[in-house]
Amino acid sequence: MKFLCVPCDSPMKLQTVGPPERGSLSIVYSCPECGYEMAMLTNAYETQVVQSLGVRIGPAEASAEAGGRCPFPAMIPGNEQQQPSQAGEPIAVRWTSGAEARLANIPEFVRPMARTGIERFARERGALEIDEKILDAAREFFGM
Amino acid sequence: MARVESMKRYHDIVGDGGSRILEQVAEQRARISDGLAGVRHVVAVGSGKGGVGKSTLTLQLASALRARGLRIAILDADFNGPSQARMAGVQEALFVPGSHKVSLPRTSNGIAVFSMGSVIPESEALEFESAAHGESHTWRATREFALLGEILGSFEWGALDLLMFDLPPGAERTVQYADFLGPLDVAHPSTSLGMTLSPSKGQGSPRVSFLLVTIPSEVARGVVARSVAALSKGPNRLLGYVENMSGYYCRDCNAIKPLFGSSEISRLGIPCLGTVPFDPELARHCDVGMPFAELGETPVRRALDQVAQQLLETLI
Repeated sequence: MKFLCVPCDSPMKLQTVGPPERGSLSIVYSCPECGYEMAMLTNAYETQVVQSLGVRIGPAEASAEAGGRCPFPAMIPGNEQQQPSQAGEPIAVRWTSGAEARLANIPEFVRPMARTGIERFARERGALEIDEKILDAAREFFGM
Repeated sequence: MARVESMKRYHDIVGDGGSRILEQVAEQRARISDGLAGVRHVVAVGSGKGGVGKSTLTLQLASALRARGLRIAILDADFNGPSQARMAGVQEALFVPGSHKVSLPRTSNGIAVFSMGSVIPESEALEFESAAHGESHTWRATREFALLGEILGSFEWGALDLLMFDLPPGAERTVQYADFLGPLDVAHPSTSLGMTLSPSKGQGSPRVSFLLVTIPSEVARGVVARSVAALSKGPNRLLGYVENMSGYYCRDCNAIKPLFGSSEISRLGIPCLGTVPFDPELARHCDVGMPFAELGETPVRRALDQVAQQLLETLI
């Protein structure tokens, strides 16, 4: 979808995307020639169609809506908010920034499972820090 | 006020003002092409009819081909009723992040498998978050294909001789998969929404083919015939079909006995790659994720081997 400022015959530029509110996005465009601003307010169906394509509305750096998030978070084991470890619970393990970066590269819907599984793999080997060597060891161990 | 006739039109304007929606879709496609760059063949195993044994045949044929030394992976595309995780014994699989992508779990005989059954417990139904509550019929398929794209682009498929898609039931789904996979085929570059969807020059790409499964019943044959008709309308490569549950193997008598009324092989107007009898022992193997190699030397295994050989010869 593109927007044209009719008086200027000039393509309008996207300015901001507001956070979703009851299924609606507020997307502000402005004309670079005359400065006229307008907002596109989507209904839930329109928002959903775009979300379903797995694309993001807004500038690439914007975090607002669509794409990247797990599409079915309620279904994923281990997706619950991490609680501090208590007596009897597994000892917390630390992730190095390199290992976290690798984890961030993978689809969000497998991230909680990957995190839980790798932490279990590390604990079983007496490691309390997960770095890229641990990840490589897990890949080798599971024949990947 | 400007007249409609004289103002700029859609195609006069470069870009969409900031979101780059079309470019994002093209980038998704590029990630898929990149992910499949090392795959020689994609074979989508479909039917149109449910319950004919697509998943079982997919896994068993993959195992028979793996035993011949081929590098094989299975993508369980039935997101709503995944069965490959259980059958392949990867329900408790560990997903390990590599430097850029995720490693795939493997069966004990080395077949890489992605199945939603490794991600979501069997006690849960796949339910996407949505803004349009209660209106999933308007967007669900789009969401599922976006997920499929993410899976193809995010997991390490690596160098494969064959990637087998275990398709969901439904003749219309088979056609949707043909629409999705067809543009990835090096032999059928095409454009959609004004974008070139085929791999860029110099990049490897798979040959995409379809294999259909039926059983010896007129009801199933009729539904599969519709899938043949629908696939034949496009530039899809139909390898043929397999008649599954073609009798059943009685271990007590060591003989194949009739299972359905019809003893004639179903005729679908495409090559028949073979017939496979039903084997209760094979069904038990699938339930507990036991590998093909432990099936033993039976007529069913020989039948699967013959179909695998036929499939291999058809692909070459």
